[in-house]
Amino acid sequence: MKKLRVQAAIIAATIFTLTACTSYNETSPNPPLAVGSTVEDFKLADTAGAEKSLDGLKGQNGTILVFVSAQCPTVKQYNERISQFAADFAAKGINVIGINSNASESPAWMKSHAAENYKFPVLVDKGNVIADKLGASLTPEIYYLNDKNVLVYQGAIDNSSSGEEITESYLRNAVEQSSSGKPVEKKTARAVGCSIKRASV
Amino acid sequence: MRTIGITSVLFLLSLLALACQTQPTAPPKVTQIDETGLKDLLKPRGKPVLINFWATWCGPCREEFPDLVEVGRDHKDKIDLITVTLDEPAEINSLVTEFLTQMGSESPAYLLKTRDQDAAINLVSKDWTGALPFTILINAQGEAVYSKQGKFDTDILVAEIEKL
Repeated sequence: MKKLRVQAAIIAATIFTLTACTSYNETSPNPPLAVGSTVEDFKLADTAGAEKSLDGLKGQNGTILVFVSAQCPTVKQYNERISQFAADFAAKGINVIGINSNASESPAWMKSHAAENYKFPVLVDKGNVIADKLGASLTPEIYYLNDKNVLVYQGAIDNSSSGEEITESYLRNAVEQSSSGKPVEKKTARAVGCSIKRASV
Repeated sequence: MRTIGITSVLFLLSLLALACQTQPTAPPKVTQIDETGLKDLLKPRGKPVLINFWATWCGPCREEFPDLVEVGRDHKDKIDLITVTLDEPAEINSLVTEFLTQMGSESPAYLLKTRDQDAAINLVSKDWTGALPFTILINAQGEAVYSKQGKFDTDILVAEIEKL
């Protein structure tokens, strides 16, 4: 019994040490996909383990891919706004798809986070394959595709993480302009967020 | 004898875990700046400057900070280290100061609050997509000679500093 307790203590100490010193690759191997590029169909499992495809989930008039994270405080600040625009844009035939590419987050955590915060599907990007293809590097990060899967806007949702003093609603403006048949004026915008924790090479 | 051996192993493992933590010192002053203040930080100053953008809520930022402080300290004759947090202003005298104190950071510290993060990020570097941490090394002429989005590699950073 004493021997088992000692062994358990050593294992616990080892796990604690490894956890204290674990790190992930946070650099995207590619720059963000250029606006005007076409995003090819891809398949990922959703948080329930069912395989889904971009073409199967896309909206009739467009699709918004939003890279999310269960732990990122910036995503937490945006969750309400993300849910709101998902509801607003669904009425325009634009579907929102969440993508979680964080190797630091367990499938169970991703699932509970998605269930608690979103009504749209969240796909698990194991091995950060899609994040790498699109050059996504942080959360939250938006890739807004038109009905032909052409990227029309990439980057930040708006210019205020905290939600206070929003003076530029980049995504909403892009959707409004694109939906009206007008060219999107601001095609990319950057804001501070959490780096995507990629599986280490 | 076996007990001593096991105890030693546990002790060594604890020391290793603590090596990932740091020691506290006196509280540093953190100055809030806007885009204009950021432009001033980026101007040529006759001495190379290493600027690290971070936040208390950013795990990798916190992980690399001890190494950052050490690099700044070990190379203070060659570079000035400046830290810029993207925390909310409400945290300037609480979470931010507490963290910098715990890290033993004595270099000039700023908190950036701007309405246009896109413009601010663009001012710093076209290679920065906004993810934290971001570290940039600027030479005495105000030219960026190295930057890293995500945690930096200390050996690579030091090698870049040595080239200056």
